[in-house]
Amino acid sequence: MSTVNLTADSGREIAFLDEVKASGAMKDIYFSPDRSYVVGFFRDPPANALKDRLRDIVTRYRENLFEKEGGTFWRSHFCWPTDTVTHNGRIGVVVPFYEKAFFFEHGSKNNDMLKIRGKDKEGKWFASASNREKFLDPREKGNWLTHMRICLSIARAVRRLHMAGLAHSDLSYKNVLVDPTTGKACIIDIDGLVVPGKYPPDVVGTPDFIAPEVIATQSLSRDDPKRVLPSRTTDRHALAVLIYMYLFYRHPLRGRKVFDQDPTKDEELGMGRQALFVEHPRDTSNRVNPDDLRLQALPWGDPAQRPYTMAGPLLVDLFNRAFIDGLHAPEKRPSPADWESALVRTLDMVQPCSAKCEMGWYVFDNSRLPVCPHCGTPYRGELPVLNLYSSRTAGNYLPDNHRLMVWDGQSLFPWHANRTVYPNEHLEERHKRRVGYFQFHAGDWYLVNEALPGMRDLTGKRDVPVGGNVKLAEGAQILLSSEDGGRLVQVQMAGS
Amino acid sequence: MRRLPIYLLLDTSVSMTGEPINAVRDGLDLLVSTLRQDPYALETAFLSVITFSSVAKQIVPLTEVTEFRAPHIEANGATALGDALKTVARCITTEVRKTTADSKGDWKPLVFLMTDGMPTDSWEKPLQEFRASKPGLTVCCAAGPRADTTVLSKISEVLVTLDTADSATIAAFFKWVSASITTSSRKIDLGKDDISRGDLPPPPAGISLSKT
Repeated sequence: MSTVNLTADSGREIAFLDEVKASGAMKDIYFSPDRSYVVGFFRDPPANALKDRLRDIVTRYRENLFEKEGGTFWRSHFCWPTDTVTHNGRIGVVVPFYEKAFFFEHGSKNNDMLKIRGKDKEGKWFASASNREKFLDPREKGNWLTHMRICLSIARAVRRLHMAGLAHSDLSYKNVLVDPTTGKACIIDIDGLVVPGKYPPDVVGTPDFIAPEVIATQSLSRDDPKRVLPSRTTDRHALAVLIYMYLFYRHPLRGRKVFDQDPTKDEELGMGRQALFVEHPRDTSNRVNPDDLRLQALPWGDPAQRPYTMAGPLLVDLFNRAFIDGLHAPEKRPSPADWESALVRTLDMVQPCSAKCEMGWYVFDNSRLPVCPHCGTPYRGELPVLNLYSSRTAGNYLPDNHRLMVWDGQSLFPWHANRTVYPNEHLEERHKRRVGYFQFHAGDWYLVNEALPGMRDLTGKRDVPVGGNVKLAEGAQILLSSEDGGRLVQVQMAGS
Repeated sequence: MRRLPIYLLLDTSVSMTGEPINAVRDGLDLLVSTLRQDPYALETAFLSVITFSSVAKQIVPLTEVTEFRAPHIEANGATALGDALKTVARCITTEVRKTTADSKGDWKPLVFLMTDGMPTDSWEKPLQEFRASKPGLTVCCAAGPRADTTVLSKISEVLVTLDTADSATIAAFFKWVSASITTSSRKIDLGKDDISRGDLPPPPAGISLSKT
């Protein structure tokens, strides 16, 4: 096979092997000889707008994202094109190869019966209850905590794109690689980015993720003012679907309701004008009928067995906004920043299963005796819950709607101790280290202070110096930091 | 769960002897191994194989991708295209689940028909039966220069022409078939057939695609 050598538009030397390795809706993909990058050539003859857009993506937008403060944070979140090339009249983009974590190490069950070892971890493998159960090697499947981290990572990356004024326009499990073993996710196919008012979208999206208003108007001509095309608002729908699918392994709109006798029209209505959330609390007409599912799709395929309320109150509120209030009212859909914030706080409400079951983790259900919803095992032992409060005016503390569950191995971080610290790309190096940990000793839980100079046990009326500790008892109040934005915790004891 | 039924109608007449029939066998293997690595196809696709020579026969009933075993096929006899259409119409009627008032049926089946020659039986009436069975997208493939493209273009709106019926081109065709089964992003301007399931992928070298 011959190697093609080229000079990219930046002046860099580029080489690729002359064999199509994959084809998408718009491009053919070729590999570099050393497999450190790929070159994707657009099949359609290049329009000037496409060239301009690609140049902007590989220069201006890329630099704004990666070469600013916090830029390195984003490297693992995106597979961003680095250069453009032209060859035989076709225009192409140079894109780095995916990180190793996004290729299957073990693949499928029974010594990789499907021979997918080494293939990329397309999200659909993990977003389907029956694929997970029937095919995936357990070592590839991760647990509920890593899936929640995947969702956080996707929400963050989309938030960053939207902040920059860009819309992805084709978010789907095909264009987001995930790694449940580590909880990482990476957005790919960046070259379709939409810049409102400047570069229009090429694609309407991928089935399962296209917003109802886009489907409902898809037969209108592109120039019809009523036609709705992908935008940041439709990205919000796709993001909500992705998060739902990575947490529940089923689609939020695919239930039993028959919209039309013709499957094509049924799909168009069920995903479009008449779309209805399968877990709508009042309209039950689109509930999933478990008899319609493959046996292996249970229990996750059946919302009655694994309801979305498992994700805890913060995420439930956002799912309601996305799939009930905002399904047909796009302006009501939650933003990626809303998801990010709710996921950060929900991750703190996650506790380990006492039986260490396959899913392993669950969101605290605010009950005195929590039970793992995956395997039914009651939580064993005492479970302190720290309710976080912070003050806007001196001495007056208000709840932050943020709780931290205490379990063996849990840590306290600066963003717990101070309302003004937030765990995102702006997190300073000094704030990445834990400032305290929790220890179970002789039947009681203690918070050990490692780096918070102003910690004070308000109930016991004593300072807790660095190196000291404080016992966690029902009702205890502990001031974590006396600095501006410093938090107070109120301890609640659950478990047995 | 809505299944995506896929019917492969393969010409096994005597003219396919040698390289072409070997290439079809390899093509089936390639198709199945590709679909077995596609999480979307694993969840939804069901395959059936109907061969036709002097008569047509469904040699693999509609089967889930993981359960599919490549059938043994031999080339001999005439080209009973009409019988093939009749057979697939009957299979669609009995195997594909219809939507009822309270339960969702399957997707409309995809039908891929491949032949290298001219029909040796009458095909007009069977074509009507085929249409009446309400297939979804139907793709006819004229394998090599001797195939009767006039008849094929009456059967379907999508006609794929292979320049030659050699193993590389037939392999490329089966690769294209597997790509057209899996989902992908949808372009903004869709044809009427594309609305439900996205675009057909672009054909590789040696294969031309026309919509009639």
